[in-house]
Amino acid sequence: MSLRSIRKACLIVVLMLCAGCLPVQEKDLLPGAPEDLKGCLALFPAGPWECIHKIEAVIHEGVSSTLLGVTKGDPAGRKLHTVLLTSEGFILFEAEQLGDKVSILKAVAPFDSAAFAGGLMEAVNLLFLPPQGRPSKWGKRADGAIVCEWKNPDGSRTEILVSTAAKISVRDGQGDPVKEALLRPPFVQGLASSIEFRAYKPAPYRLKMTLLHGNG
Amino acid sequence: MNKGAWRKILFLTVMMFASLVAVERGHAQDWASVRGAFRNVRSVKAGFLQERQLQILENPLVSEGRFFYLAPDSLRWEYLSPVRSVMLQKGDSIRLYHFSEGAWKQDMAEGVEARRTVLAELSHWFQGRFEDSKIFSHSYSQGPPGRIHLTPEQGINRFILGIEIVLSGRPGVIDRVEITEPGGNAMRITFRNVEVNSSLPSGLFDEP
Repeated sequence: MSLRSIRKACLIVVLMLCAGCLPVQEKDLLPGAPEDLKGCLALFPAGPWECIHKIEAVIHEGVSSTLLGVTKGDPAGRKLHTVLLTSEGFILFEAEQLGDKVSILKAVAPFDSAAFAGGLMEAVNLLFLPPQGRPSKWGKRADGAIVCEWKNPDGSRTEILVSTAAKISVRDGQGDPVKEALLRPPFVQGLASSIEFRAYKPAPYRLKMTLLHGNG
Repeated sequence: MNKGAWRKILFLTVMMFASLVAVERGHAQDWASVRGAFRNVRSVKAGFLQERQLQILENPLVSEGRFFYLAPDSLRWEYLSPVRSVMLQKGDSIRLYHFSEGAWKQDMAEGVEARRTVLAELSHWFQGRFEDSKIFSHSYSQGPPGRIHLTPEQGINRFILGIEIVLSGRPGVIDRVEITEPGGNAMRITFRNVEVNSSLPSGLFDEP
């Protein structure tokens, strides 16, 4: 290969790498109709429900653990009751939420830290209860996906994107991702068949959730 | 075949069933013979049905699995549904695996310690060494069926209120284990197709 062709190849590689660094432009949002907002909120069960998930938790790449998650909730009053069990049925963590008040009913180490309990209940809220208040904007993208966005009191933003699958994401005030959940159809009585949840901050981890039983 | 012969066969059949039921249900076992029967157990192979009752669920969470025990300290406790997973114990070595995306994956080491106590208790039960438990005191009611009541020490009773091991009519065989927990939660494990002292493949306790 000549020196010229090596330079050309290097230039192409550098350009390809730079293209990967370019910021992705946010797709234009067409003004939303009331039905579009309903589309975002339809992602969450409308009435009382209970579900059982198989949860594969990946804390470090290549190291994972399987748990069972039992959750019962009611959007009226923002009620949640969640139990995390080993596959043998031993309870590791149990907590109840009524409005903004969370009570830890049972927790064994290492699930007994306040940070773990807070993080877990935040994740359960994000996955099963609609964001509070009216969204700051919503609409339809040119590709047909519905997007709704809420500004949270702490400066973070929650975005719901509904397309063939659905995505719920939270970004902090700087726009960095904090949590992200991909909800895959089919939806069984308002509950996604599978969920891929990823937390970026403060500690990164991944959850692969498979719906075993849903009653919405 | 004449009428007399039919009567004879019917009589013998009824007698046979009656004697089987008597063996299975009618024979109360004293504590010494219960412990003696467990001491003769070298291996156990069985299926099980686990019903996990949680106060927040209308219906119990049902799991099915199988287990293999080889005295004194090899155990394979395996769930086939709804989540495929296995605990392997050989001596002091305990490993956990779950089946995901078509392959067995080893669980985080953090999960092992929590299970070590549970597996030690299971090993004690299969050998009839109830007095060796560091966390339960025991008592026995003759029945039938014979029942071994395990009462947890202080501290453990935050998680378990009591365990009842219900014995089968067959010596050295456990029919079911019933665990009562605070908050209205409970668990029942019913064993089936129990084979005692049959030969077990050597690799059962090494690999998932």
